[in-house]
Amino acid sequence: MFQITDVPRILPEILLLVLALLVLGSDIFERWANNDAARLERVRASAQLTAIGLGLIFVIALVQSGYVYKLPDTVPVNFLTNILRNLQSGGPGQAPIIGAFATDDLTMISRLVFIGAAFLTSLLCLDDYPSSNPAEFYALIIFSTLGMCLMAGATELVMIFLGVEMTSIPLYILAGYFSSEARSSESGMKYLLFGAMSSAILLYGMSLVYGFAANAVGGNGVANDLTQLSRIAALSKQGGPLLTLSMILIIAGIGYKVAVVPFHGWSPDVYQGAPTPVTAFISTASKAAGFIVLFRLLTVAFPRLSGSAILDANLGGWTSLLALLALLTLIVGNLAALPQTNAKRLLAYSSIAQAGFILLGLIAWAAPQAFDRNQGTASLLYYLVVYTLTNVGGFGALSAIKLAVGGDDVSDLNGLARRNLPLAVLFAFCVLSLAGVPPLAGFFAKFYVFMVAWQSGAWWLVIIALFTTIVSLYYYLRMLKAMFITAPSNESPVAVPAGIMSALGISVAGLVILGLFPNLVLGILSRVQTVAGM
Amino acid sequence: MTRAIPLEAVLAVAAALFCIGLFGALSRRNLVGVLMGIELMLNSVNINLVAFWRYLEPRFITGPSFAIFIITVAAAEAAVGLAMIIAIYRTWNTVNIDSVDSLKG
Repeated sequence: MFQITDVPRILPEILLLVLALLVLGSDIFERWANNDAARLERVRASAQLTAIGLGLIFVIALVQSGYVYKLPDTVPVNFLTNILRNLQSGGPGQAPIIGAFATDDLTMISRLVFIGAAFLTSLLCLDDYPSSNPAEFYALIIFSTLGMCLMAGATELVMIFLGVEMTSIPLYILAGYFSSEARSSESGMKYLLFGAMSSAILLYGMSLVYGFAANAVGGNGVANDLTQLSRIAALSKQGGPLLTLSMILIIAGIGYKVAVVPFHGWSPDVYQGAPTPVTAFISTASKAAGFIVLFRLLTVAFPRLSGSAILDANLGGWTSLLALLALLTLIVGNLAALPQTNAKRLLAYSSIAQAGFILLGLIAWAAPQAFDRNQGTASLLYYLVVYTLTNVGGFGALSAIKLAVGGDDVSDLNGLARRNLPLAVLFAFCVLSLAGVPPLAGFFAKFYVFMVAWQSGAWWLVIIALFTTIVSLYYYLRMLKAMFITAPSNESPVAVPAGIMSALGISVAGLVILGLFPNLVLGILSRVQTVAGM
Repeated sequence: MTRAIPLEAVLAVAAALFCIGLFGALSRRNLVGVLMGIELMLNSVNINLVAFWRYLEPRFITGPSFAIFIITVAAAEAAVGLAMIIAIYRTWNTVNIDSVDSLKG
């Protein structure tokens, strides 16, 4: 049953919904003049409201989770401590709400990642995007964030489906937002077609799981929701080909959303054609949400089918399937990035390759020792956090360049260091972190997933991943060469809006701090050892 | 009543519908045709859910409520899809998938 005390547990989701409606309403009910100054004012009003609101919700979610400061039981009771205590009563670690939405550590951490990514995205489009009806644009970003939060906490198939769609449909619209531009409308259309098809495949898998569970109970009246993940796990003792088939269909469906090879076909086109801040959002938050859902689904509903990725032992189960996908993703993603001339497309292929590294962390879950499993979870989450910061920074820099120079080819980066040194340096930090160069967080994230995957027995995959990392240096360094060595076509300085600069600054600061002191977050991430519903 | 047609037959219809939809979505060159293929795939899922519910646990409502959620979301998706087809037609003057190809490489 849903109780009134459950409200603080879903407070961030409620606040996101309120903020989205507020952004829409504040634009509709204001009487705007019809000139350029008013139009810019209109964009700024919506953008600032969104940025401030998302920042506040981030802080509230952070306080609620109790990761920074947990109110001790002994403090005297007054107005402020009461508010804080009520807020933190929705903190991690209770049974899922009506069996459908868990507020465990995994949800709390993913919420912070998604809301943080949305905040940085709203900073990226603080000044120039979008052209007309700006409130829709920002409200759609918030709705999509809300969907991601629901995805992260869903412990039921219906809820997972609704979360996925609530995330995806706003993103389709955002990708095709500039409907008069050929590229934007094309990318929105492609995203929609592939996304809808992947949803259908995902749903077919889910319907088979439901049928399997209904069959296992045999209609003998156990009053339980057969779409709940823990229920499926309890019934899955019999196993059988039907459950395996549905698991493969579900992995294929979510594999589309997170763009792993061979389901990656849409992502370079969509990433290249969508408005750059939207690309930043799609490539980070939506991909992270997909991985969180995949993690919760596979570990909670299908733990018996996990199998292993150790070569000579028992290959089989989802671990082997994911290992195969990771292998393909690493090789194809990194090799296809080599000849790219468009910087956005290059980063798109790089983010496909990054998905392969993230899969390594998932594979480690099937390790025989519990210690390795927990390490696998922590490394997966650490990689997701770092990847989010890096790619928001990378695409953010590209959106600044697009605004100033008018293009997003690698040749548009030429001589950026001479035209705007701070931007070039911040962008270089992001690129180096993607490549995995030591002092930055990207290095530690890669090192961590490699170590965990090696310990869990997938050493052959780690060796291949190391090779592809070396290959990837080529295309990352090509961007650095364009920025720092090649002569620019003209020497005029590049102006960068303050919003983009601050978003870049935040993400690069995060990369440096997390790279030098990974223990700051590893302690929090390693709390995700038991996932609700198991 | 429900024994007149075995569950397997209903599931076979759903599977066939899913395959037809997938084939249509992948082979049609007209954007509206692709959307129709996707709708077929979603409807095959609905048949699956309702059949499993009716034959295996008719006393609970999980199956049909899931199906209703799918129908609702499919309607939202189709609305966005048709709006995008209109946008594509306005910029490209065509709704043929092969002609909409500015992004490649």
